Amino acid sequence: MAPDPNSTSSGPREEASVKVPSKDPKKKDEKKDEDLSDEDLALKQQLELYVERVQDSDPGLQKMALESMRQEIRTATSSMTSVPKPLKFLRPHYGALKSFYETMGDSDLKKYLADILSVLALTMSAEGELESLKYRLLGSEGDIGSWGHEYVRNLAGEISQEYAKRQSEEAPIDDLMELVQQIVAFHMKHNAEPEAVDLLMEVEDLDLLVEHVDKTNHKRTCLYLTSSARYLPGPDDILVLDIAYVIYLKFEEYPNALQIAVFLDNMQYVKQIFTSCDDLLQKKQFCYILARHGVAFELDDEMVVDNDEREALQDIINNSKLSEGYLTLARDIEVMEPKSPEDIYKAHLLDGRASAGASVDSARQNLAATFVNAFVNAGFGQDKLMTVASEASSGGSSGNWLFKNKEHGKASAAASLGMILLWDVDSGLAQIDKYFHSNDNHVIAGALLGVGIVNCGIKNDCDPALALLADYIGKEDPSIRIGAILGLGLAYAGCQNDQIRCKLTPILNDAKAPLDVIAFTAISLGFVYVGSCNEEIAQAIIFALMDRSDSELGEPLTRLLPLGLGLLYLGKQESVEATAEVSKTFNEKIRKYCDMTLLSCAYAGTGNVLKVQHLLGQCAQHLEKGETHQGPAVLGIAMVAMAEELGLEMAIRSLEHLLQYGEQNIRRAVPLALGLLCISNPKVNVMDTLSRLSHDTDTEVAMAAVISLGLIGAGTNNARIAGMLRNLSSYYYKEASLLFCVRIAQGLVHLGKGLLTLAPYHSDRFLLSPSALAGIVTLLHACLDMKAIILGKYHYVLYVLVLAMQPRMLMTVDEDLKPLSVPVRVGQAVDVVGQAGRPKTITGFQTHSTPVLLAAGDRAELATEKYIPVSPILEGFVILKENPDYREDH
Amino acid sequence: MGQGASGGLNRQGLPGDRKNDGDKKEKKFEPAAPPARVGRKQRKQKGPEAAARLPTVTPLSKCKLRLLKLERIKDYLLMEEEFVSNQERLKPQEEKTEEDRSKVDDLRGSPMSVGNLEELIDENHAIVSSSVGPEYYVGILSFVDKDQLEPGCAILMHNKVLSVVGLLQDEVDPMVSVMKVEKAPLESYADIGGLDAQIQEIKEAVELPLTHPELYEDIGIKPPKGVILYGEPGTGKTLLAKAVANSTSATFLRVVGSELIQKYLGDGPKLVRELFRVADDLSPSIVFIDEIDAVGTKRYDAHSGGEREIQRTMLELLNQLDGFDSRGDVKVILATNRIESLDPALLRPGRIDRKIEFPLPDIKTRRRIFQIHTSRMTLADDVNLEEFVMTKDEFSGADIKAICTEAGLLALRERRMKVTHVDFKKAKEKVMFKKKEGVPEGLYM
Ligand SMILES: Nc1ncnc2c1ncn2[C@@H]1O[C@H](COP(=O)(O)OP(=O)(O)O)[C@@H](O)[C@H]1O
Ligand SMILES: [Mg+2]
Repeated sequence: MAPDPNSTSSGPREEASVKVPSKDPKKKDEKKDEDLSDEDLALKQQLELYVERVQDSDPGLQKMALESMRQEIRTATSSMTSVPKPLKFLRPHYGALKSFYETMGDSDLKKYLADILSVLALTMSAEGELESLKYRLLGSEGDIGSWGHEYVRNLAGEISQEYAKRQSEEAPIDDLMELVQQIVAFHMKHNAEPEAVDLLMEVEDLDLLVEHVDKTNHKRTCLYLTSSARYLPGPDDILVLDIAYVIYLKFEEYPNALQIAVFLDNMQYVKQIFTSCDDLLQKKQFCYILARHGVAFELDDEMVVDNDEREALQDIINNSKLSEGYLTLARDIEVMEPKSPEDIYKAHLLDGRASAGASVDSARQNLAATFVNAFVNAGFGQDKLMTVASEASSGGSSGNWLFKNKEHGKASAAASLGMILLWDVDSGLAQIDKYFHSNDNHVIAGALLGVGIVNCGIKNDCDPALALLADYIGKEDPSIRIGAILGLGLAYAGCQNDQIRCKLTPILNDAKAPLDVIAFTAISLGFVYVGSCNEEIAQAIIFALMDRSDSELGEPLTRLLPLGLGLLYLGKQESVEATAEVSKTFNEKIRKYCDMTLLSCAYAGTGNVLKVQHLLGQCAQHLEKGETHQGPAVLGIAMVAMAEELGLEMAIRSLEHLLQYGEQNIRRAVPLALGLLCISNPKVNVMDTLSRLSHDTDTEVAMAAVISLGLIGAGTNNARIAGMLRNLSSYYYKEASLLFCVRIAQGLVHLGKGLLTLAPYHSDRFLLSPSALAGIVTLLHACLDMKAIILGKYHYVLYVLVLAMQPRMLMTVDEDLKPLSVPVRVGQAVDVVGQAGRPKTITGFQTHSTPVLLAAGDRAELATEKYIPVSPILEGFVILKENPDYREDH
Repeated sequence: MGQGASGGLNRQGLPGDRKNDGDKKEKKFEPAAPPARVGRKQRKQKGPEAAARLPTVTPLSKCKLRLLKLERIKDYLLMEEEFVSNQERLKPQEEKTEEDRSKVDDLRGSPMSVGNLEELIDENHAIVSSSVGPEYYVGILSFVDKDQLEPGCAILMHNKVLSVVGLLQDEVDPMVSVMKVEKAPLESYADIGGLDAQIQEIKEAVELPLTHPELYEDIGIKPPKGVILYGEPGTGKTLLAKAVANSTSATFLRVVGSELIQKYLGDGPKLVRELFRVADDLSPSIVFIDEIDAVGTKRYDAHSGGEREIQRTMLELLNQLDGFDSRGDVKVILATNRIESLDPALLRPGRIDRKIEFPLPDIKTRRRIFQIHTSRMTLADDVNLEEFVMTKDEFSGADIKAICTEAGLLALRERRMKVTHVDFKKAKEKVMFKKKEGVPEGLYM
């Protein structure tokens, strides 16, 4: 039995495709009539009458009939599951009306009829005919919304098809655009911003949007635009973001505009924002955003006219108050009390055997303790190993811990002081100073590195780091040189400082310089010029690579050279191509490694699927022994895919396959890639995978997994990971190398006693701080050959993580930038893109008073009306201004 | 939560033994030993299973952003496919696994016997019981997936030494797999006479949320979890559910309330749990429980263990309806003749709050039902169905069907090719007679 059209069985579209069987139509009709209620029957007859009248010869009658038909259609309401009745009843007459239309002479009436045909085509027109659009264009161009949402939606769909067709025929599109204007206006008025944006993207004319946004809908529109940009290919994404930027500027949503400017890495835009905004408070907020991102930015008198103001603003960009804010947070949360490594190991929770572990290789144990101590007490200015004695002035005992480390261990120990005094330049330099007078080269090297660490992310007009370190670059002893060079790299990461370039590039091509010095020079230059595409440095590194002998190319540290080169192009996509071409001429030992590294760096944080495919393809090969390029390829997958949540989750799946099929060199890199994907964001499934791998029979896989456990838990104090690591520490108590890794991981989990994060993404996971990513990636590359680098004598590479360390806090400050405690709700962020109205942006929230800690995926919102935040994104430092409309409740 | 949630009644694991095991296993120094999460089956969502799950995509409304996101997922899946097929080509796993398998088979020995895991001691030892005889302390062979072992699960044992050599893993209770409707029933919406409002309502409450979740999102309400169909017997409740199954693209699971009552303690609730788990796995899906009164009657002091068990089954049902994790893509349809006897907890808002009544057919509906059921019959010219349509007797849809069938049978009995009006009259009387328990119609009129 054919579907009974009277039943409500199918939606509009299906209904259209159902062809009533032609046999015996009469009987059908009768039957239909029988089922109709009296009311429906009347309506049906009425409409039939209209149809007849429309085809009458008297224009007056025609007009009346059309008018009434139109009335009937408009007033009809429909449920979501059925077609409006008038449309249903008019269906059999669609053909007749169509052919009658053709016979009509040009007149208003003809247009009228076209309108109605256009609506009827909504359910009648066959797939691909685009009749609704056709008649719409022939019609009277009246208010488009009067026929309802579904009609407009359908029309928009047909327009995009027609547009594509005309584009290929190069036919004019003016009439279409006219209609697009109307539809966009309609959608924007009716909370359907995504639909408006979609249509404009289809017809490639997003500029139109700017005219149609208004106060009420621009936020949702821009949110939709920015989220779409993540998934759009090629130049389209930039286009979309540009529009969002223009809209934000138009509505003076400067902080948002700034985010887009920073995302695009467009300093011209940043400047424009500074010049077009004349609110000092907002400008201060801009500075906080720039400071968090870690970009070097000089304000000039065009951007801020007043000298004092400019200085104050520049201070914010220079992060000079970061230490202060961090300590305020620490005091508020009451974690100022220094922690010793034992407090972290919590050996008492393990029974019996653990204490025996101390006997193994105590130098390495002490080195581990040094790092744990540095990570845990980072930035607090006090600890129980390095700073204690100098305060007690009992002399010697601080030296004691330093000298509990052997040789190169002392370098890391001395540098750890820099970590403890992180961001506090004045007292940092003062306390490190004593080591400069040591006659132990390792201690001096450590002190130099420590100076770099203290200054990491902090800029200062008198450039103390440069002044202190520059002299040591040319020293004889390689460890001193490395200390100074790496120190400069950390202190000036992202600054693109010319002086440093002039000092360091010659080393690269110095035939006498040892390999490790050259390697660290390349990395440091990579840090300082991260994402700059600087030609000269690229040249210098390329030459350095070409000059290496065969055996040198096989050295573990050589990998830092291609990496340094890659960092220059971090996130810069196509700009890398010329350099990548050159790298094809390298010695085959390093060629592929270089290729993978360059590719993964250049597309880091872009989510470019094609590149992921390419990298995955590299991992699909089964190699001869000795080839090393698959490690960076695996890391590359993570670097590219980490751009957005979906890619991230899917990359985790792909890595699972790599584990299953890959050879050992791939399996070793997989845990590290997982560590990057979930850095400071302990996802349970990844945690489980890593925990499984941490018991792998291959020690290198196990070590990488252990370190990665530390990375995903970094700064979270995650109890589950802490427990896993504790068990691992007793499980591996006899294996010094693995135990060392476990200790490092434990230190990372309690990074800054849980106040710090390593996540390079910030601002609602929109912006990626290049220097932070550079630091993490460098560590991961070093971990690809754990035994030679971190377990060898270059353990201080661990300190490059300092580039990514940031307080994971929300600190609200008043207009004078003094901390201001207000209640805030903190909860899991909800994706509200494309939702109408004002949906909840967080779930499962709790109310705290600032400053508060934010975990990965958390979002905060103000729980009081008393203040208005200057930035819509409540992360890091946020300035609050008083709400002038606020009335105290009584 | 899945089944790992409440320590089921049939589970004998010591409370808290997991933690102890975790620590214990670390004590021996055996670097090669993998971490066994002994004593608890890994939740389904983790490991490779979790990987099989795709990330959720927001926004729900149909827009380009959603399209782009879905395409992104597709791209990644294509890459995975390419990678895996490449690997399989380069290094055919088949041969290797075939070899391994035969080795494992050797180790397992044959015949194997089936037993029950009573308790896990450490990652290599367990206490098992076979269907006959006492419990044994035996070893677990290294190739057994320890993550999957949990107290109470069925295992394969070596025939002599009784060591655990494998794990019986029928993930889905066979009872539940039977419930899945593989072949769509023949009844479609077109075979239902009248009931327009009911059809519309069930569509809005059940089908629409599965196919167009964005509509609900737009309005900002949560779609109902399910509906209950109630009304006199024979008014088409089951029929409508069949029609839903016929038309929907979602998985359709059907159970009759009585099937949920099981012989052994704890099996009923377990079945309910399993049912919903399967529904979740196969989502989007529709669960149809007919004759819900079998388990859903009001709670009162239960006297026998059996009654208490039935109540427990209902409680589990309530629990599943509340859904610890949101069962967004699972809709429930219940049907009953006796809504007044159902436990109010079952019908409270938030669980099944949409009630759809099925009244006895009115005149117009009756006419439709007659038409439907006579549409394939050859009727004599003298048949005047209007007479039956217009009668004052109370007919249900089922009665009408019975009349039509009966009339056909009468004609058949007399070897006539056409069904006459008289046949219908007789048939009607007979049906009414049966209905009124032996009081012939018209006797008192
Ligand atoms: N509205 C109806 N339209 C067509 N047939 C019906 C209708 N109502 C009941 N029937 C007939 O009655 C039979 C029994 O109905 P059923 O749905 O099983 O009743 P219940 O409501 O008791 O579940 C069906 O198989 C169908 O043939
Ligand atoms: Mg029934």
